Amino acid sequence: MTTMTATQQPAIAKAPGPWSVFVRVSSTIWSNGKARIGLIILGLFVVFAIFAPLIAPYGASQNGFDRSADPTAAHWLGTTAAGEDVLSQLIWGSQVSIFVGLVAGVLSTIIAVLVGLSWGYARGFGGDVVNFIVNLFLVIPGLPLMIVIAAYLSGGGIAMIITVVVITGWAWGARVLRSQTQSLRSRDFVTAAVFSGERPFRIVFREILPNMTSLIVGNFFGAATSAILAEAGLEYLGLGDSSVVSWGTMLFWAQNSNALLTGQWSLLFAPGLCIALLATSLTLINFGVDGISNPRLREGKQR
Amino acid sequence: MTSVTAAPRGAEGKAKSVEDDLPLQTDSSGRARQTTLFVLRKLGLFVLTLWAAVTVNFILPRLMPGTPADAALAKLAQNGPVSDATKAAIEAQLGVPTGNIFEQYVSYLHQVITLDFGVSYTFYPQTVAELVSTALPYTLVLVGAVTIIAFILGTLLGVLAAWKRGTWLDALPTLAGSFASAFPYFWTALLLLFFAGYVWRLFPTSGAYGPTATPNLSFAFLGDALYHAFLPALTILITSLGGWILGMRNTMISTLGDDYVTFAEANGLKPRVVALRYAARNAILPNLTSFGLALGGVVGGSILVERVFGYPGVGYLLFNAVTNQDYPLMQALFLMITLSVLVANFLVDILYGVLDPRTRR
Amino acid sequence: MTETVLEVTDLDVDYNTGEDATHAVRHVSFTLEQGEFVGLVGESGSGKSTLGFAIAGLSKPPAVVTRGRILFDGRDIASMSREELREQRHGGVAMVLQSGMNALNPVRSIRNHFRDIFEAHGHVDKRHWDARAAEIVGKVELPPQVLDRYPGELSGGMRQRVSIALALSLEPQLMVFDEPTTALDVLVQHAVMNTIIELQKRENFTALLISHDLGIVLESAQRVLVMHEGEIVEDATARQILKKPKDDYTKMLLSHYADPRGEVVELPGFEDRAARAKTGAKRADAAAHPPTVSPRERRTDQKAIVVEDLVKVYPPPRRGEREVRAVDGVSFTLEPGASLALVGASGSGKSTIAKLITAVEKPTSGSVKFGDLDVGKLRRGQFRSLHRDVQMVFQDPYSALNPLHTVEYTLTRPVANFTKLRGQDARRRVLELLDIVGLSPVEEFAAKLPHQLSGGQRQRVVIARALASDPQVIIADEPVSMLDVSLRAGVLALLEDLREQWGVSMLYITHDLLSARLVTDNIMVLNHGKVVERGDTAEVLRHPKDEYTVKLLDAIPNPRKVA
Repeated sequence: MTTMTATQQPAIAKAPGPWSVFVRVSSTIWSNGKARIGLIILGLFVVFAIFAPLIAPYGASQNGFDRSADPTAAHWLGTTAAGEDVLSQLIWGSQVSIFVGLVAGVLSTIIAVLVGLSWGYARGFGGDVVNFIVNLFLVIPGLPLMIVIAAYLSGGGIAMIITVVVITGWAWGARVLRSQTQSLRSRDFVTAAVFSGERPFRIVFREILPNMTSLIVGNFFGAATSAILAEAGLEYLGLGDSSVVSWGTMLFWAQNSNALLTGQWSLLFAPGLCIALLATSLTLINFGVDGISNPRLREGKQR
Repeated sequence: MTSVTAAPRGAEGKAKSVEDDLPLQTDSSGRARQTTLFVLRKLGLFVLTLWAAVTVNFILPRLMPGTPADAALAKLAQNGPVSDATKAAIEAQLGVPTGNIFEQYVSYLHQVITLDFGVSYTFYPQTVAELVSTALPYTLVLVGAVTIIAFILGTLLGVLAAWKRGTWLDALPTLAGSFASAFPYFWTALLLLFFAGYVWRLFPTSGAYGPTATPNLSFAFLGDALYHAFLPALTILITSLGGWILGMRNTMISTLGDDYVTFAEANGLKPRVVALRYAARNAILPNLTSFGLALGGVVGGSILVERVFGYPGVGYLLFNAVTNQDYPLMQALFLMITLSVLVANFLVDILYGVLDPRTRR
Repeated sequence: MTETVLEVTDLDVDYNTGEDATHAVRHVSFTLEQGEFVGLVGESGSGKSTLGFAIAGLSKPPAVVTRGRILFDGRDIASMSREELREQRHGGVAMVLQSGMNALNPVRSIRNHFRDIFEAHGHVDKRHWDARAAEIVGKVELPPQVLDRYPGELSGGMRQRVSIALALSLEPQLMVFDEPTTALDVLVQHAVMNTIIELQKRENFTALLISHDLGIVLESAQRVLVMHEGEIVEDATARQILKKPKDDYTKMLLSHYADPRGEVVELPGFEDRAARAKTGAKRADAAAHPPTVSPRERRTDQKAIVVEDLVKVYPPPRRGEREVRAVDGVSFTLEPGASLALVGASGSGKSTIAKLITAVEKPTSGSVKFGDLDVGKLRRGQFRSLHRDVQMVFQDPYSALNPLHTVEYTLTRPVANFTKLRGQDARRRVLELLDIVGLSPVEEFAAKLPHQLSGGQRQRVVIARALASDPQVIIADEPVSMLDVSLRAGVLALLEDLREQWGVSMLYITHDLLSARLVTDNIMVLNHGKVVERGDTAEVLRHPKDEYTVKLLDAIPNPRKVA
């Protein structure tokens, strides 16, 4: 997550580098049964998103097929009211959700880490003021704020949605990471690092940060989940760019073309199921992440 | 057996007083004072947060590109001539490119305090205040009641899951809960609407009451309203329940490992007492905080739900305001939603203080 | 004639079962007679708490009783059902937990704690609940007002007294005390132990006191069980253990006790200090005690730490309370190569002084000077100039090492920051440091992570880190209090040799007067941030003048007093 400049001496005495941290975290998550299921589902969606051009039978907005058709051999999930292939749209649509989840998750985690660490480590870092601002962002309801901002910025597309999701989504992580930083900061090994002549920057990024890996990873998956749900919600309300093919806009068009009345269930069912599955996979992965930090939650072997 | 009596240590002086650096100084009047202080402190914080939220609402449209006020005025002009008073009101709310920002702020604050948000141009000539006050009760009752029910039910199921850890009573709600809570609100709503509304025709497909009814307090109307509210309520329940179950289960598993639970068992308290008065009673505290903070999410979700079911609450109104670029209505609604969440959070804070003796000190 | 209350036969308790099982308690057999006060002593990991929990019927997975019987009142506790166990807790086995501070439900008043117990067993008429509760808290020397308090409003000692009272309200035949005073301050520890001893005499229940501290056990118990690696290695009266210990392990434990007030104080590895002072001999000069570090020339540029009228005031911990004067007008000088002890109970301000000297905290007024360096005015960026020469050894070796870094990384950092050594030279220095603190094979220890080390080994790594910059002064804040007694002498010998062989001066902060007597020449006694007594260590401890020093000395459990 954190890209650190490795300005140390030769090969001796390396701190756990980003790669080995990644390997350790991945293997811990993989060892949890629920999280493994989540990783597999997520992996499938990522494959769909990356190889959409190869997998999808038709183009995303390729139309001219029968309108509002029921499933056939040529169109496994039928077609939309505009005569597009539902299955193809579904596969192409995974790109948007995964992209939004990844980017918004990473950005809000970075902000949360930066705010949380500096707020927790530096004493009297305008403590009360920051506390107040973070709490304000926590209590202001996120989706209504997003809707209002999106309404002003109409037509901003995915970049706008990501911006809004990040603005409303960083505060929770910042608070959690701050309290963890404060608790780690009072541990002797942090004071000992000062005695070892370490600079504050290095103390924060080499002593404190690695001990919060599970929280940060967990925060990322949590933020990504809510970003995916928020993105779908905004697009469903028609507040995104409705010409982009995503699961949210599919539902928007489905509702607007009265798919409910015509009984075209696949149009409603399929995009929603994909959103739900993707969100569930991230939630499941977080079960494994919890296991890194909270031994009491680790599944007992046999009891 | 030969008994070796240890040298009596009492002879070395009654050293008890040494340890009690912490005398029992607080009497009941001191406690009452602490409680008052606690409430006042929370109240002060509430007012401050409220002010900040109102200010955010003032700044937001002014940060946005373009001039929302001009757009609003142009839109309003389509309905007929705009009075100067209306023009001033809209400019105070949404900002004008020129003009003293401080004066705008003062007149905006005055508006907020007198609840004068001007006229809606989507539902011209109704005032924003009228529209909001009609929609608010539906949302407050629907979202408020369902959220509280979901929290209580979820907490109870979470307690059960943690207490019966490793059995199906744990596995089932945990798994179902984590799956259901990942459902997008609007998708759950769409599914329920599709099946229960259109396919099976069990419930009405839109509105808060039947087309022939007029709002009053008769049983007939209330029954009709409940009938219409059922599907939206069920949606919110299904999607929010899982989070409470999981949260409570996890904190309770953690408190079950605490020393006071072990000690309570060692003292032979009945398992039910240990589970409820000891483990659950403490586990609920952190969950209460999450409850306050999650309210915003539930309110957000309910907007989508109201949109799906065409339920005439605040969320549906907001949706209409947004699609019609009715900025005055939108701003007022956002303010109201934020205000409701803030009030709810304040109440949760006070409740927390009641439940946890440590916070009052 | 006595009556047997508890009979444990051939008991095994395992953690986990099957392949990854560890045997915490092995083949343990003993009996307890009615009215006896028995001690169960052992070091960490000896299985003593596991045994205590099994006796109280509180074994929980992963701990499983795999063999043997625990006969209490003619019934086997190990094979009772949950409900049978629960019912026998009235008039049966009660337990007081180690962490009495956390044994009370923070959101329930003390009165309700008692009511819950009376309600569960129905042994007290509902009308008499409050009167009975007041009577029982009186027995542990608490006023009845305590019943209306919440646990958070009570001090640690009071909370532990409340848990004893709660256990007592079960009218138990046998009470198991699991390290009942370990988490408490020395003075409070002493007072609570006195209460337990008197209570047992008056109420005449059978008591099993589990402790790591042979001193406490010998002072209170009539009979002692010594436990080592899951087995009971000795079962004898307190007098026999003291006079004629049979087992080598018991002998070893015993050898690490001495009375700091004694004329002559000797421990394994330490000859009496006063005797050495007369001849000018060093600790390691005695043939039996080889030096832990090789001697070298003393540095010529050594500077003294001069503390003048030091004051540290902290803001009130809670609204409406008074500010805390943690350090209140303290002055002293730590000369090059000297050793000075700073002693006092918790809250006396001794650790705050360490923080002020090392610039971790800034003084409210007064000054700390190291040579011409004004420590109180150092800015963050200037810390290295101080820490090059003034280093710290921490109390808790578990918290003082970052769990994610190898020993080599931990030691390389100060070498890189304070010396010009790089690459292979730095690595050689790290290995040399490990060798100095006695962790060999050095290559192997360098690669280890903290969780792969024992407490004593970790503390040696902490000391090695402090030595990396080749400092002139070491501030040791309770360096051995978290270690098992058998490991303490080794760490103390290392610190002593660093001073004697290298001339490193040491500020030794402790509540443990015995270790202060072993490794320091001078002593200062602190109470509420003020120095109440100072002077030659042996002299002050043998002939204390201040009342507070006397209290501290009286609080030390001392097995020899039994005889």
